[in-house]
Amino acid sequence: MIGVILAVPVFLVVLMLQTTVMSTLPLLDGTADLVLLVLLAWSVQERVRSAVEWAAIGGALVGIISHAPLVAPIAGYLVVAILARVLRARIWQSPLVSLFLATFAGSVILPAFTWAALQFEGTSLPLVESINRVVLPGALLNLLLALPVYTIIAGLAQSVYPEEVAE
Amino acid sequence: MIAALQRYWRAGALILVAAGILALALGGYLAPAFKVVTAPLISAQRWVSTRYMAVYEMVRSPQDVASLREENMRLEQENALLQSQIIQLQEQLKDSAILEALLQFARQRPNDSYVAASVIMRDPSPFLRYVIIDQGSDLGLRRGMPVVTAEGLVGRVDAVVANAARVQLITDSASAVNVRLSKSGIEAVLTGSITGDVSMEMIPQTASLQAGDVILTSGLGGNYPSNILVGQVLNVRRLETELFQTASVQPAVNFSNLQAVLVVTSFSPADVSPLIPAGTAP
Repeated sequence: MIGVILAVPVFLVVLMLQTTVMSTLPLLDGTADLVLLVLLAWSVQERVRSAVEWAAIGGALVGIISHAPLVAPIAGYLVVAILARVLRARIWQSPLVSLFLATFAGSVILPAFTWAALQFEGTSLPLVESINRVVLPGALLNLLLALPVYTIIAGLAQSVYPEEVAE
Repeated sequence: MIAALQRYWRAGALILVAAGILALALGGYLAPAFKVVTAPLISAQRWVSTRYMAVYEMVRSPQDVASLREENMRLEQENALLQSQIIQLQEQLKDSAILEALLQFARQRPNDSYVAASVIMRDPSPFLRYVIIDQGSDLGLRRGMPVVTAEGLVGRVDAVVANAARVQLITDSASAVNVRLSKSGIEAVLTGSITGDVSMEMIPQTASLQAGDVILTSGLGGNYPSNILVGQVLNVRRLETELFQTASVQPAVNFSNLQAVLVVTSFSPADVSPLIPAGTAP
């Protein structure tokens, strides 16, 4: 339960960083998605069982702040968290490989959800320009930041779900 | 009498000699002689004094180093405090300059009423150009109210809660502002884009415009008040095969460094949707 509740303060801090710091440091027009990175780093931890709950909480918080339709971030983060868990189960020997794969996939899936939701709402966004100027630069930034975020979140997960010592 | 002279002649002679020496000294005639006498004495005194002070410093040094370190630490703390005060004052100065500019803008339009607000965050989605400001419905902010700075038009309020509001910038892809050229009065529509670039569209092919032309809000559509500075024409794209010309626009506001804004609370956007025939609304 504490693992689920912890998502709220963690994502609030991360969202503050995202909306004040990260949004002012774009690469072309793409920015790193700290919420996504924290969610993925949490989801690929072996002992974590609350990835879906974290996805829902993170998605809801982003949806409240952003003008994007609420369903887009919630659905996007849920899909990405499930994908990360699947990749973690498949590539269980190397959590970092699953982390990087999930980061790249998430960096594409999440903007795709937002793009589709905005199109559905009536906002016309050019597809090629969106990919070239927003999605790919954002994915690169996410890949660069994935490891540092993973290190921090791994420590947090270790303190919440400590390893059982065999006697 | 003779007996008295015999008794005091030595004293009298001594007084005379002393007075003579004093007179010579006051007259400066004895200076070379004094110099010869005092020079070795002064050298000896200096030698003794220097050695003594060296020994004195050596004996006292541990105490002095400790007090110097303490003093140094105190001064360093004081220096750090003063540095932080300087930074704070510089920040306050910057804020006051922004607020003064906003106040100046408000004074130029005395008929409007304004609420000043700080930009506290930006939309987390890179597809969207929205900012969140720290004033909301508690101070009378409503959806649709225009937002400006001293430089010009920023956008309009998109959503409001009690103590915060979300503002759609004119650089957003979904933003459309009715504008006119200040010089020629030509009307057009200003739209944003995914890259944050702003362009002016729907300019008639017959219209003549050039780089540097000033763009103001036209007030058409009732979404924005008229005559707010929007920006300047950067360059014009005109193709004979197209119905309209388009022009790139340099916004008057620097959106990458947006810190404080004014919400025009006296302006209520007109709801023209009942006048638009069904099926033609965008």
